[in-house]
Amino acid sequence: MSDLKKVDVLVIGSGPAGQKAAVQAAKAGKTVALVERDQSLGGACVHRGTIPSKTLRENALRVKNMRKNASLCNFELAEDTEMSTLIDRLNRVLKAHDGFMVNQIKRNNIERVHGRAKFISPNEINVMKVRGEPERFHANSIVIASGSIPRTPDNIPVDHENIFDSDSILTMLYLPRSLTVLGGGVIASEYASIFQALGVKVTMIDRYPLPIGFMDADLTSTFVESFTEMGGTWLGEKNVSKVEWDGLSQVVTHCDDGTIIKSAKLLCAAGRMANVQDLHLENAGLQVNEMGNISVDDMLQTTVAHIYAAGDVIGPPSLASASMEQGRRASCNALGIGVGPMSKMIPTGIYSIPELSAVGMTERQARSELGEIIIGKAKFEEISRGQINGIRDGMLKIICDPQGEKILGVQIVGEGATELIHIGQMAMLSNADVDIFVESIFNFPTLAEAYRVAALSVIGQRSKHSDKY
Amino acid sequence: MEQQLLQNSMTSLDIESMSASSQKMAVLLTKLLANKSFDVPMLPDVASRVLALSNDPDSDAAQLAKLIQGDQGLSAHVMRIANSAAYTPNASMVSLQQAIARLGMALITEIALAASINSKMFKAPQFDKRLVGIWDHALATAHWGKEVARISKKNVEASFLCGLLHSIGRPVVLQAISEHLTASGESIDETEAFALEEHFHIPFGAVIVENWKMPVIVQESVQFYQNYEQAKTHRDQAMVVHAADKLARDTLACKDAGECSIETVLDDEVFAALNLYADEIEVLKAQMDKVVAGMEAMRQ
Repeated sequence: MSDLKKVDVLVIGSGPAGQKAAVQAAKAGKTVALVERDQSLGGACVHRGTIPSKTLRENALRVKNMRKNASLCNFELAEDTEMSTLIDRLNRVLKAHDGFMVNQIKRNNIERVHGRAKFISPNEINVMKVRGEPERFHANSIVIASGSIPRTPDNIPVDHENIFDSDSILTMLYLPRSLTVLGGGVIASEYASIFQALGVKVTMIDRYPLPIGFMDADLTSTFVESFTEMGGTWLGEKNVSKVEWDGLSQVVTHCDDGTIIKSAKLLCAAGRMANVQDLHLENAGLQVNEMGNISVDDMLQTTVAHIYAAGDVIGPPSLASASMEQGRRASCNALGIGVGPMSKMIPTGIYSIPELSAVGMTERQARSELGEIIIGKAKFEEISRGQINGIRDGMLKIICDPQGEKILGVQIVGEGATELIHIGQMAMLSNADVDIFVESIFNFPTLAEAYRVAALSVIGQRSKHSDKY
Repeated sequence: MEQQLLQNSMTSLDIESMSASSQKMAVLLTKLLANKSFDVPMLPDVASRVLALSNDPDSDAAQLAKLIQGDQGLSAHVMRIANSAAYTPNASMVSLQQAIARLGMALITEIALAASINSKMFKAPQFDKRLVGIWDHALATAHWGKEVARISKKNVEASFLCGLLHSIGRPVVLQAISEHLTASGESIDETEAFALEEHFHIPFGAVIVENWKMPVIVQESVQFYQNYEQAKTHRDQAMVVHAADKLARDTLACKDAGECSIETVLDDEVFAALNLYADEIEVLKAQMDKVVAGMEAMRQ
């Protein structure tokens, strides 16, 4: 057994949360060990999820736009185009990211440990190596940021050959002719629309009537319309009873109502679950909650005082953006460094085609809590820039209080949604009334004009102040 | 490329210590390689079974795939033709499933038959036992390749073909040696013949799969499976084939010995390079029976 190494802070996982936690602790002058089970830093976000899928999305958008502009270029994507061609810039993106991370870790004198962490006691961690003797660490504070892994229902025999999960879908060498996507969440919607834009015949199956249930139905309906317009098929309110490979060329999906879908490949995107299986949390006096996640309080502190957790491992919102801030705060809290309250206003970005994004309350939540509220909408096709860009499937919605003044939330569907949302977020953070979008001058022509159109719609509905404008 | 391969390979062959006939053989193989004047024949037994299957109204595509996959030479020919300009201009077929699904059973049957009728079969009477061993090893590598790829989240589908073809140069080298021995009446020490096979199989295999216009992933697997660090674009796949090749060797060795243990091979650094932890290695080891069963089924 190796000697016990003592560090001030040990961070488990080098994804967005773990990386920020480690850097924050190091910047506070502490000795830090960062344990990562993969050979490269970055976690699933960098290597299997966020970055690879967004790289693929960029090329899918190019393909979609070239098809849309067939009169300008006679374009047809070869059916045997390699995936490596479609994510051609990925290696460069990953190399740049890895280089940046490695330098940051070195610069801050963080000890990088390649291995798999296991709790021996609340303060002791054993790091198993792929080869060689394990290393033992004693840490005064520990941040668990081990991320998440795909959830696989028992009736879906994922084999990573014909039936994939979200971690393995991009190992496909070629675009399949057809793809069934199980699920209606963020990952399912992103991959379904990306592959459909690339010309794969995609069928999305989910038990709910519409995908992405945490957004309003008018926006997700727009997404479904756009998806079906590209040639995709949305099958809502269906329960999958069985999935099987026919032994030769097709995956067969059976639904409870007798519907049978056949496709060349299948993606099971039934959500993700906390990656805690190898941690032996019980040795630290911890256990997962009923959702399978690690419970933390507002300080990101677990039930064991010196152990904190951040990122996907603590459950929603499971966004890289939020995870980074959680990681930083977890270290600050563990080291007694004062930080203000974490903003509750975290935007959600869905990198489907078209994009969806939201911040604040949904219309449904607002009506439930406040009753008669005022909604303002702007369709991108009514905006000059939308016309110029040929965007027909975009919409921006502002949700306001019953007086039509305070902005409660913004929801957007359409290209650029994940960037546009920040205008609404900034207005909300500064407690501005919806009037700010009318009184401010935006570049013209831009999609930001949609804010102005939607705000005017809200203002027009104010019965008390209708004569103001 | 051939010159470079040749140069690389010749430096590692201790030709000085070989007999005169082996040295002469090495020169001949070098010339064959430089001129690419060799071919990959097929087993006539498989050809006749493909013919029988095509005449059976109850046969189905799954049987055809199983039959073709069971034979390295025939699989290679089918994939070569399926990847030819006539059928797939961009040479992208990586699996028989893909080829049958896209081209249809009837066409694949025709391809298999045409390939078998127009090609010579391996003839290396001095090395018959060795040829059987090479087939078994290729099949075991193909099956192990799928399992290694699955556990390490690499591409599973292409791993079968890459494994099956990784040693395609071996029987061709032996056949070339055999043809020369028969024609010249000379003899060669078997150990030295196998050393020549070991030495030349990668450049021969690389030229074959390049001429067949196999997808780059297959070409790199054949060319770099022993030195995966040198692979340019498909290093992961070369690693998978390297690991599968090692596992296949031990599987066949322990199968012959009557007891199976693949513990030693798992110390190979490729498994660490694939980032496989102890429990994942255990999962891999547990696939032994599945691999052997799959291999046996395809040998029938």
